[in-house]
Amino acid sequence: MSNMPRTPARRSRSVAKTPLTPSLSAAVNSLTIASPARKGSKGSSSKPFPGDITNPFFQPSKSRPTSPLKRATSGGIQVSESLQRQANAGVIRKGGIESRLDVITCDYRPPKPDMKRSKSQPAGTNHYKRDRYITNREEQDVAATLELMHLNPRSASPGHTARLAEAANLPINKRVLAFHEAPPIPSSDPLMSQQREIVRPLYARPGALTSSTSSTTNKTRKVAMQPERVLDAPGMVDDFYLNLISWSCLNVVAVALGESTYVWQAATGSVVHVGDAPEGSYVSSVDFSQDGMFLGIGMGTGDVELWDVETNAKLRTMGGHQAQIATLAWNGHVLSSGCGDGSIWHHDVRIARHKVMELLGHAGEVCGLKWREDGELLASGGNDNVVNVWDGRVGDVNDDSRSSAKWTKRNHTAAVKAVAWCPWSPSLLASGGGTNDATIHIWNTTTGARLHSLSTPAQVTSLHFAPHRKELLSTHGYPTNSIMVHAYPSMEKVAEIRDAHESRVLFSCVSPSGDVVCTGAGDENLKFWRLWEVPKKAGKKAGKVGGGMGEGILALR
Amino acid sequence: MATKQAPTRQAITLKGSTAIVTDFFKFAVNTILYQRGVYPADDFHLVKKYGQVVMLTQDLALENYLNKILQQVQKWLVSGGVTQLVLAIISKDSRVTLERWVFDINLQNPPAESADEAVAAKPESVIQAEIRDILKQIVSTVTFLPTMDEPTVFNILAYTSESADVPADEWVDTDPLAIEASKSQQVKLRSFSTDIHRVEAMVAYRYEG
Repeated sequence: MSNMPRTPARRSRSVAKTPLTPSLSAAVNSLTIASPARKGSKGSSSKPFPGDITNPFFQPSKSRPTSPLKRATSGGIQVSESLQRQANAGVIRKGGIESRLDVITCDYRPPKPDMKRSKSQPAGTNHYKRDRYITNREEQDVAATLELMHLNPRSASPGHTARLAEAANLPINKRVLAFHEAPPIPSSDPLMSQQREIVRPLYARPGALTSSTSSTTNKTRKVAMQPERVLDAPGMVDDFYLNLISWSCLNVVAVALGESTYVWQAATGSVVHVGDAPEGSYVSSVDFSQDGMFLGIGMGTGDVELWDVETNAKLRTMGGHQAQIATLAWNGHVLSSGCGDGSIWHHDVRIARHKVMELLGHAGEVCGLKWREDGELLASGGNDNVVNVWDGRVGDVNDDSRSSAKWTKRNHTAAVKAVAWCPWSPSLLASGGGTNDATIHIWNTTTGARLHSLSTPAQVTSLHFAPHRKELLSTHGYPTNSIMVHAYPSMEKVAEIRDAHESRVLFSCVSPSGDVVCTGAGDENLKFWRLWEVPKKAGKKAGKVGGGMGEGILALR
Repeated sequence: MATKQAPTRQAITLKGSTAIVTDFFKFAVNTILYQRGVYPADDFHLVKKYGQVVMLTQDLALENYLNKILQQVQKWLVSGGVTQLVLAIISKDSRVTLERWVFDINLQNPPAESADEAVAAKPESVIQAEIRDILKQIVSTVTFLPTMDEPTVFNILAYTSESADVPADEWVDTDPLAIEASKSQQVKLRSFSTDIHRVEAMVAYRYEG
């Protein structure tokens, strides 16, 4: 930036500014007119004189040059000198003149004279508190004011009231009357209003009860709407909070029917009675260990039993819980149990003092419990509408060791029974709420963020991610009693099997090969649905591991 | 009155006009109470009126309450004592006025004796069509009025002239239940007129945008 080539341009710019200056001179003019009057009112003898330093713009002489150009040439005036100085120094800007105008307006405001005047004429004090141009009238309720006037008409002059009334379009000299009784209370019938309250969630959701027995599928995806196989399950308890079926990797389905537990070999179709709950109690949960060799059975009494499936013998009973074991989850040799009192215990099945950890994070019954496949995280859902994720590491072997949840989510508004980890994206956790919530939330368990939410037409009773597809299965209770398949991550409905059971679908599990889903319900049926296919290349492997579940069922027919 | 109306065949008398306005007010109030959810939807049933289907309450207590009010309104209409009827919808818990449905009632100046053949009597079908338009507009206001999640109650106010005779123990002076001017928005609705009355409808609602 060299000054030399710039100077001509700058000069020409200052010349170009001249059209603005008449307004400046006009402002100065108005000042000269205004200030003597003000000072006169002050009563001081101070007279404006040309050399007034406080106001460099002050120019009392009547032979004031009309344009600053002229002033600049005359050279005798302070204003133009200072301007010239500024111009020479290169500080004059486009806003220079305007800022000078600001100075004038500031000077124009008379706070000090006001003070002096207030001594002599106290009546005029608050007049100067207001700006003359901006009304600072408080925001007030005109109608209320008028109403006050209406009640007390003598407080204001009648003309003023009339004008105000006209402006606010309010009637004057009129009475505002209301009937002496209050209108009747809307819901006179308490039973009716209670019923309304109960059915409200059913009306509130989209798609609820549109067609009660319909099944819809995506056009690009065909899903069998009929179950592949139906098994009778007499005495199956219709209780939302229990978890009564489990499908092992050895292709064995364990079912708890009342006080007895049965094992159904999917390959052969044979049924073996495993054991009974103690007199007066019932089986509240079953779960197979990861290798499929052992079966954990939770009792209504709070005991957890360990059974060897192969020899059909009870290995041990692990007591300690005081309420029913609504859910069980295995991780290696650790069997975790969710109890009716809200506690979760880790039982190490190998050692005598089996209780190795207690997780306290639920105020209500724990009814959903799932280990992540790698055993690092444990997700739990409870009747207190809370979803907790726990660090899976089992701490000090100490009866009293307690842990706090890695994170806690309270978004659900009803009991959380359905929790599911995603097999192909380990950080994903899905959780679903009960009747009043009926919402599925998908969480990123690494960050704790809620990724997706989906409201469904009915209570969510169980959730599973499809092993070989980017899909999420959910089962639902009244009124749809449906099995739904949602695409992930779009959460669009891929398929829905309405009225999959005659009553609410309560339990579900996925076959080890990942193609068939078994559901159980209060209508005392177990139904097997072929919802997915085992992908071709992984088919052989899955076939080996799954023991050819599909063929087994077909052979039985 | 009767002599004035004599030349026109189907001219509406003051009594007839009053009946029309009262009837309109009854259906307008019912429509508002239904549409705005002041009373539960299943308290209402369908009735054919003005060539369309309108909702009318089945709640006996509410029906009686409205009838009592309308009887008095009818008396005032005959005497010309009422100038405005307001249906205010108030939050049940906070007692804040949420909506004000205002019906201005203006007495049409009766035509001068000489001009009465020039002003033909308004056929009833036209009046009904105008009323139907207002009721349809009330229904359609649901699209822009803010939703009211809280339980609400309503109150009916009558603006009367100072001279109107008021049954002392039944009607009492009251607060106008106004919405603060800074927090209210107003929408003018259609109007209808008989030969004698002209009713203009307007809704003001609380909107703190």
